[in-house]
Amino acid sequence: MDTLTFEFKTTEFIQNRAHVGVVGSGDLEILMEPVKEPHTKVEIRTNIQGFEKMWRLVLERFIQENDISAFIKVNDFGATPGVVRLRLEQALEVSQSEGKH
Amino acid sequence: MKVNIKESLSELNARERVLSLVDKGSFHEFLGPFDGKESPHLAAQGVVPQSDDGVVAGKGIIDGASCVMIAMEGDFQGGGIGEVAGSKIAAALELALKDNKNGTLTHAVIIFDTGGVRLQEANYGLLTIAEIHAAITDLREYSPVIGVIPGKIGAFGGMAISAGLCSTLIMTKEGRLCLNGPEVIEQEAGIAEFDSKDRLLVWQTIGGMQRTTTGFADVLTVDDATIIKEHISDAFSKNPVNVPRSADVEKFLSIVNTIDPSFKYTPEGFQHVVEETKNKRNNFKKSQHGTKKSRGEIWFEVFTGKSAIDMQEVPSVLCGEGTINNEKASFLSVVPDEEGRFPRARNGEVGLEQGWMLAKYVREIIEEDKGSDKRPIVAIVDVPSQAYGYNEELAGIYLSCAAAVDAYAAARRAGHPVIALIVGKAISGAFLSHGLQANRILALDDENVQVQVMSKQSAARITLRTIEQVEEAAKKVPATAYDVRSFATLGALEELIQDIEPDQPGKDDVASVEESLKKTVNDIQKSNAGIERRLSTPQALSGGRKASIEVRKLMEEQWK
Repeated sequence: MDTLTFEFKTTEFIQNRAHVGVVGSGDLEILMEPVKEPHTKVEIRTNIQGFEKMWRLVLERFIQENDISAFIKVNDFGATPGVVRLRLEQALEVSQSEGKH
Repeated sequence: MKVNIKESLSELNARERVLSLVDKGSFHEFLGPFDGKESPHLAAQGVVPQSDDGVVAGKGIIDGASCVMIAMEGDFQGGGIGEVAGSKIAAALELALKDNKNGTLTHAVIIFDTGGVRLQEANYGLLTIAEIHAAITDLREYSPVIGVIPGKIGAFGGMAISAGLCSTLIMTKEGRLCLNGPEVIEQEAGIAEFDSKDRLLVWQTIGGMQRTTTGFADVLTVDDATIIKEHISDAFSKNPVNVPRSADVEKFLSIVNTIDPSFKYTPEGFQHVVEETKNKRNNFKKSQHGTKKSRGEIWFEVFTGKSAIDMQEVPSVLCGEGTINNEKASFLSVVPDEEGRFPRARNGEVGLEQGWMLAKYVREIIEEDKGSDKRPIVAIVDVPSQAYGYNEELAGIYLSCAAAVDAYAAARRAGHPVIALIVGKAISGAFLSHGLQANRILALDDENVQVQVMSKQSAARITLRTIEQVEEAAKKVPATAYDVRSFATLGALEELIQDIEPDQPGKDDVASVEESLKKTVNDIQKSNAGIERRLSTPQALSGGRKASIEVRKLMEEQWK
């Protein structure tokens, strides 16, 4: 298991927390929570070792396009970069569409 | 008839399944993803945890009726039950019981999708599943506990026993229900016993259609959330069932007795067995019991003066009277029988006959003591495993295990002090059936006294690790070790009895064990009828059950 941490400077904020996905084969779980500082921290635990560069690329692109500040926790069970990207967008969508919590 | 499926339940994940069944907006989840109660044991073994440990638990409303909703996430570690996952289920059921006792009617719905014990947490799985069993049987006295098996994984292992204890069981055709998965049977008993690649055979044997046709489940449903919700609602409106399946010893023991174990039944053939139950035993001859006695038999003989040869019905299930501190007590043991009727249960395993016979004997004791002093019941535990066999699964061995669980739990509730005395092996489904429902567990401190879920070989194969890695993991997570001293660190043992000669007990050995039994009986008589003592022993409190205790505490805070 690899544990990775990434941090980004950001400007926009999210209002609600969001939880999507499952730690199942080829999938991942994302917990996205609002923060007060313009700063995003991503903590990743993944069962696939040695893909730090790939994670950085996917996350940089996501932050570039969305520029949100959040604490993001990722529990990964071998998701491809495409699935990671989809889940991140889904989490953001859930956060923006739901008024609960 | 063609049915338009609007929303498939089996295609949804655990949380979505719950949300699709409750009235809109009514669900409140406890210990959800943001509460941070994940498994403390997985990361140490290099396995990525999930934020809710694969169990969704909370309260919701179904057609106006308040209920606790529980669902397992089959995609996470095969829905396996570890310490946190199992404790979440047990805690939710225990709190629902409390509500019912306080006059707030709370039903329960359990959506099964689980392979049973999570092997990386091994004995924690066994302990928490035993707590789930206790909670279901208690809760069922007040309100129906509805089990749903929508399919994808199904309900296996110790959680199949949980399903067997439910008041009403709803299954889709895709749902599967069995104790040992076909893959495990193929591994343990060979491809001739069960070809796990034969998908048609697998579903015909353990699938929802067969289970409902043969009376092992109640409702066969299409895989549609709205329709399943209607079935649940219907089941709520029934009063607690008169005789739950797992307590219907007469009916199911006669099915087991009708089976000719020398014959491999087709799924259809077994349907005829169920229809034509004759209440006589096929292929029965009283066996000439072998001379070498197992520990289970040796210790049974010590306390009762009887042995397998004295048993009138099934020579591998021993039940007899003895005394503890000069007061009457009953002792039960499961022992090998080289010529037992069922070839897959000749080495002391708990099989079809053993589970139902244990249930029968325990219920007879309860009946005999009705209106008088409740004698102590001692389960002498030396069980190498549950029986791995095709006929066993076809005839619902999970239910025979549930029957034994149910009977021991009923004995506790009736006021009998129930003690498990582990003198040899205490393995998996066999231990769940015979031992883990006791108020207190005692064990002899001996290297051949072992508590575990699965042989190292099988555990390694299933978790995709080498045997060395499995042994390495045991050093970090004592729950996955095999020796009784590691098991003792989890806090489930009331006492690890020292300096006993387990194979040839002398007078002093027997006196010492009897003294421990006496002390334990006195202690039980002063306390509750449950099995919760395991969570408050010094070892449990000092870390052995840390996560289990925390889960219960946090859930109680969130429960409202």
